[in-house]
Amino acid sequence: MNRRAVAVGAATLAMALGVTACGGDSGGGDSKTIKLVAADYGDKASNASKIYWKDVAKDFEKSNKGYKVDVQVINWNEIDKSVKNMIQAGNQPDLLQTGGYADKVADDLLYKADDVLSAKTRKNLIPSFAEAGEVDGTQYGIPWVSSSRVLFYNKKVYEKAGIKSPPKTWDELAEAAKKIKSSKAADTPYALPLGPEETQGETMMWELGNGGGYTDDGGKYTLDSKQNVETFEWLKKNLVKPGLTYSNPASTDRKTAFADFAAGKVGMLNGHPSLIQMAKDGKVDYGVTTIPGKDGPLKSTLGVADWMMAFKDGGADKEGVKKFLDFTYSKKMLKFDEMYNLMPVTQDTLEEMQGNGKHKDLEPLFKELPNAKFYPLGDPAWDVVSAEMKKTGGKAATEDPKKVLGDLQKKAEEAAKSK
Amino acid sequence: MSLKAPPSPAPGRGRAGGGPRRPTSRRSGLARLGPLPWIAPVILLILAVVVWPVIELIRTSFLNISIAGIVRGNAGSDKYKKLFEETDFASVLLWTVLWTVVVVSVTMLLSLALAQLFNQRFPGRRITRWALIAPWAASVLMTAIGFKWMLNQTAGVLNTVMLDLGIIDKSRDWLGSPGTAWPWMMAVAIFVSLPFTTYTLLAGLQTIPHDVYEAATIDGAGSWQTYTGITLPMLRPAFLVGVVINLINVFNSFPIIWAMTQGGPGYDTSTSMVFMYKLKETDIGESAAMSVVNFAMVVVLVLIFLKVSRWNEED
Repeated sequence: MNRRAVAVGAATLAMALGVTACGGDSGGGDSKTIKLVAADYGDKASNASKIYWKDVAKDFEKSNKGYKVDVQVINWNEIDKSVKNMIQAGNQPDLLQTGGYADKVADDLLYKADDVLSAKTRKNLIPSFAEAGEVDGTQYGIPWVSSSRVLFYNKKVYEKAGIKSPPKTWDELAEAAKKIKSSKAADTPYALPLGPEETQGETMMWELGNGGGYTDDGGKYTLDSKQNVETFEWLKKNLVKPGLTYSNPASTDRKTAFADFAAGKVGMLNGHPSLIQMAKDGKVDYGVTTIPGKDGPLKSTLGVADWMMAFKDGGADKEGVKKFLDFTYSKKMLKFDEMYNLMPVTQDTLEEMQGNGKHKDLEPLFKELPNAKFYPLGDPAWDVVSAEMKKTGGKAATEDPKKVLGDLQKKAEEAAKSK
Repeated sequence: MSLKAPPSPAPGRGRAGGGPRRPTSRRSGLARLGPLPWIAPVILLILAVVVWPVIELIRTSFLNISIAGIVRGNAGSDKYKKLFEETDFASVLLWTVLWTVVVVSVTMLLSLALAQLFNQRFPGRRITRWALIAPWAASVLMTAIGFKWMLNQTAGVLNTVMLDLGIIDKSRDWLGSPGTAWPWMMAVAIFVSLPFTTYTLLAGLQTIPHDVYEAATIDGAGSWQTYTGITLPMLRPAFLVGVVINLINVFNSFPIIWAMTQGGPGYDTSTSMVFMYKLKETDIGESAAMSVVNFAMVVVLVLIFLKVSRWNEED
């Protein structure tokens, strides 16, 4: 029996370690079928992105006889893994809409943007976003939606704590947080979500405030620069240690912070457009302001864009892909942006949204958009660097910042070498 | 509990040499193949689901695979080097050992007591025996998620209860820091390991013949003496099975840790299994290298254990 136990154990182990099954081909791979894989921006059944894409596909098929659009919408947690499986199984989509693109450029999987967009569509893209889609001067990533980050604060909490105006500098922010804590106006004075969900976002918003950031002008990683280390030393000393934020920021995700703000339990936090709707749903009277920096408000905040990309080996003909992209970018942008209260990447949609008076709540965020700074999206190593930051970066606020950031820098350099 | 299990192609094979030798006959045809035609399907199955993945795994650990999933050629031993140079590698291994030892030993001790209890006659025994199955029958993932929410800082029922009982003075983020997350995860791991282990030991207890106890009573042995002199030694085969299976199970345990902390913050609550999974996000080759190391560790662990306990000399 013992021997059998070993055999059973070994077999179980081997199975547990076994390779993941690869998805088979999903049938119709003819050149008139465009296979689209997209991320799901919805948070409930009624606003699932599937609904949006089904509608786009239907309208496109109607005006372009003979073409068929095969849509697959995958949630954010799974999409990158699923796509990786598709690529490994040689079953690439024609179009992919997700968070990053440069890693696929490194493997030469993508069409240049010029190849799949008409001149008109390309000109319509807001230049700063189009540039963020470039790898070594050639655009591969096609921006899809964008957002900029601002500081949200709970007006009621501010009132109760006796804070007159929102903070402009780090010291003012810490001061305000102290007041919130001593007056017990909110459980968490400042929400600092450095958990795996979006470590790289919160980190950059703080580092920008100290003249830091992820790369130098030449595009070399500077994750452990003096400014960045200082930033985390400040955070550790002034927010984490005095208990003005979560006790374990490195394991607190953004969704927790957002939910807490929407529940009125947070005094202030850095947020993006989705938080507007969440705050409204939670009946939180909120205000927004530019994110404070060490000595004054950020001149350029963090801008985030999601991306569309076209695969060379997807199987559909290039003309069809081009037609579909032109159709979507010229006719269907506004609908998506309005559906999720996100910000546009095309000029005509931006004008429309700023002009039609329906998006007053987005105005402070629109204002920040032209000067926004991005992650080093065009660097093929960025996806690895970002994943590494998500895993361990948050610990910089509770442990030795120099060591944590130094480790990350080493990994970033390695990744940059092997790209 | 037969000791004559068929020799297996598993790594424990080194000790399997002493199987009974069958006389070779000079018959022709199918008979010449002996039992092969009958066990061939099983062997093929084992080759396909056990051996092949292991080979594939080892091969992957020597490959350079981009984050997009494209194989970029041979990496030699680079991935192993990278793995061993990870800052957290040593602490992850240390915690893996601690995790396994603590969970398995506490499980065995508690199960011994529970098995003893369930071996007695008392009203409601049937119901309590059934109740013990519950943590086993429920999905481990479900149990872990349940505990995660019970421990939630703001909404968790355990926080509320402890607060009301005055055990803690303010609700705490138990799973947020490794110091409190480890004990809780170990507790959950023990909780889900108890049923199987208890039933294994209970089955063992029931095989001990009554007359041995009667003889002991007649000779005037006390209850503690009976326990250490008769019950424990005779329980040895069942106990060993429990230990070995638990060792492998707990070492490989993934869902509890993943559901409760995802191994974080950083790698602070990762065992080598969770570490391997997290490496996959950035480097599949390195992750495969970790898997190979894991595999080797399990094999070594089991071999050492069998050696130490001299498993085949029990009677």
